[in-house]
Amino acid sequence: MRRLPDASPRGRAITVDLEGESIPAIEGEPVACSLIAADEQMLARSVKYHRPRSPYCFAAACSHCLMRVDGQPNVYTCRTPAREGMRLERQNAYPSAKVDVFETIDWFFPKGLDHHEMFAGVPVAEQVMAKVARQLAGLGLLPKEAAPTPPPARTLRTRVAVVGGGAAGLAAARVLTERGVPFLLFERDGHLGGRLAHGAPEAGAPEVPEATAFPKGSVYTRAPVLGLYDDEGGRYLAVGVWEPEGPRLLKVYAERFLLAPGGHPPMLPFENNDLPGVYSGRAASLLLRRYDVAPEVAALVGWGPELHALANLMQERGVKVAVVVDLKGAPPSGAHPAAVQGSEPKAHGLRGVGAFSYTAQGGGRKKVSCDAVLVSVPVSPSFELARQGGAKVTFDAGRGLFVVEADADGRTQATDVYAAGDLTGGGTAKEAGAAGRRVAEALVGGLS
Amino acid sequence: MPFTPRPPLYPTELRLLATAPVDESQPPVGGVPQEVDAFPAALRPEAPLPAKAKVVIIGGGIMGLALAYNLAREGETDVVVLERGYLCAGASGRNGGGVRMQWGTPALVELAKRSIDLMKGFAGELGINVWLRQGGYLFLAKTKAVAQRLDRNVALHNKFGVPTRIVSPDEARDIVPGLTMKDCLAASYNPEDGVIFPWPFLWGYAQGCKKKGVRVETYTDVTGFETSNGQVRKVKTTRGDIACDTVVLAAGAWSPEVAKLVGVQLPNEPHRHEILSTEPLKPFLQPLVSVLDTGLYFSQSMRGEIVGGMGDPKEPAGLNMGSTLRFVSRFARALMEQLPQVGHVKVLRQWAGCYDVTPDNNPILGRTPGLDNLLQMSGFVGHGFMMAPAVAERMAKWMASGQSDELFTRFNLRRFAEGTLEREDMIIG
Repeated sequence: MRRLPDASPRGRAITVDLEGESIPAIEGEPVACSLIAADEQMLARSVKYHRPRSPYCFAAACSHCLMRVDGQPNVYTCRTPAREGMRLERQNAYPSAKVDVFETIDWFFPKGLDHHEMFAGVPVAEQVMAKVARQLAGLGLLPKEAAPTPPPARTLRTRVAVVGGGAAGLAAARVLTERGVPFLLFERDGHLGGRLAHGAPEAGAPEVPEATAFPKGSVYTRAPVLGLYDDEGGRYLAVGVWEPEGPRLLKVYAERFLLAPGGHPPMLPFENNDLPGVYSGRAASLLLRRYDVAPEVAALVGWGPELHALANLMQERGVKVAVVVDLKGAPPSGAHPAAVQGSEPKAHGLRGVGAFSYTAQGGGRKKVSCDAVLVSVPVSPSFELARQGGAKVTFDAGRGLFVVEADADGRTQATDVYAAGDLTGGGTAKEAGAAGRRVAEALVGGLS
Repeated sequence: MPFTPRPPLYPTELRLLATAPVDESQPPVGGVPQEVDAFPAALRPEAPLPAKAKVVIIGGGIMGLALAYNLAREGETDVVVLERGYLCAGASGRNGGGVRMQWGTPALVELAKRSIDLMKGFAGELGINVWLRQGGYLFLAKTKAVAQRLDRNVALHNKFGVPTRIVSPDEARDIVPGLTMKDCLAASYNPEDGVIFPWPFLWGYAQGCKKKGVRVETYTDVTGFETSNGQVRKVKTTRGDIACDTVVLAAGAWSPEVAKLVGVQLPNEPHRHEILSTEPLKPFLQPLVSVLDTGLYFSQSMRGEIVGGMGDPKEPAGLNMGSTLRFVSRFARALMEQLPQVGHVKVLRQWAGCYDVTPDNNPILGRTPGLDNLLQMSGFVGHGFMMAPAVAERMAKWMASGQSDELFTRFNLRRFAEGTLEREDMIIG
């Protein structure tokens, strides 16, 4: 990964401190992004086998970018804006993440280490193992100081609470705005748009509206929803919102909950899928579109429209696309010239990706050199909130995903919970937008 | 599969959760997710149940499985364990893993001491690690009455060879660096108490049962009983009936519901208790710490997470395993009061389980008046896990040998009608 030569200036050039070394960064961009652009790809070691880790998802959904930041353990560096002088330390390694003696655990146990049965009942060994295991376990160190007290929680009441500021959530918000229905929208990212803003561009995708398109104060960014709870006052969302002075908790009571949180970028099972340099497709498009950071040579693997759109995006920005392996069928028309049908993908490399291989259609292994493997498959619906709210979650065998059960107007088993977009099983951004509009219309119709 | 996403959905600092307003004068309501009984019929095993068995044990939690395993050790392998969900679905899979000898009555001190001894040998006997870590239990008292209780207990514990001692606030701070001891008058400490990881106990007992020929049947609901002449003859289930000589009711918080099916009124009440777990940190906390006055407890697991809970005096009776923000807020405040540097520590998930509460906080064990072959093994009020190995050992011996054992007289269901209650007052969580 590197910063592209044609990168547009996006902020003040600063330095951050990575274990005593000064690393160039750009103020305000996720510090993990600055680090990988500066060729510091390995940010962590895995919990058990101490395998090197580079950020996979850039969506605060994997653990590969957790670092100690200014003394705080286990911080998502993919979500932490870079600040001058910020102190970053890799965790779970001795003496350092680059030379980690515990890496040997991985070598000694090539078939895996079964801590449930290992030394079970063996005198002395059992006790020694328990002591060693306790020291090895745990990622961060307890902070030394008491934390400052955040401002008091704020209770808000609205008619509709919208979760997610992607294609579906924004389309819904637009309908609510037009109809004059009071609503509050919560987006986990620091920017609106979801995949419209940072996915591989799709044909016919709607534009991302400015926050000013909505009533003042109705849209919150950097506001992850923590849960859909209830208490004596009714049902509410608990939201952790980042205000300039720090975090604040919101309790948001609403008559309807329109859930459009999108999905998690899944990982595919293949050999060495955890090597540094393997990124989710959504992470790769985010790094490129928002921060001009990209691999030199990329191998892409997965299926679905986003895979091929990502290949074209990479190509346009001067990234060499070594191969695009579609695991589900022949590449569609308009696909990148390097696109082929294949199976059994594998990443190669010691400390990071150096090559990628696959079995070509008709047999025979093919291998290409590359510095990144980008995994692009349809996202797994983030059904957690809907499930907490009483919606039914079922397995869609055709798509191989758990989805929220909803009718065409987004009605779920829970009368006040509506679902839109990727939550009900994917589709294009355009389709998600249409669903958002439709669900909002249906929901407004049901409000007294 | 029945899976349950746990709030919070984003790692959230304790100090932030502590700011959620709580109205202590109101009882907690609701909680997410709401359903308790979501086990799809599709998961039900297709193989037929045996038509008869000598012993049918209702409940595949720690009690039922431990008893089944111990019966098999005593030579009785014609045993079927019925579990309505998956192994660990109930309180046995939801508890904090604390094991302690610091109790207020001789019977429980003895049982707990024996249990912890058995836990030390569990891995050797059953081939699975349970990660017993004897980091001690540190009880804190905020009021004079509770401090006196701790004082009184020390004498009792020492009599049974349990090395509990009263420690000064300074000593307590040596045991747990950073502890404020805010508003605390006294503390007691037994270095031999500890924490375990609950799940492998169930897996280990279940595997041990299967190896000895005992059947453990998951996703199987008891729907009724057939009785005649003061005896249970058959247990009816969603997978057919089983004729049996003896039935053991070990369904924890569900026991009153099941007992009702055979016309037996148990005095137990289910009470939700909530719990949470944080991001894993390097070891910093040796003992499990508990403020006895409020029921706050917290410990550090083998994996490094802070695991803790706190009882809610306003919690109404009922089978409810939903999670509330109220609990996280109350817990976070109480924990930060004693250990302020955890403010930045992030909560990863919260969940709840049900205590099986009896009027005297003691278990119900032994024969059921009027239904001689229905044996009770419930009412453990949140400490069943730590008592199970010893209780199951005694109960299996008692069942197999027919020799009398005062445990099953002392804790018989009869006592609630007779009014001879000795209340246990060392309940936390």
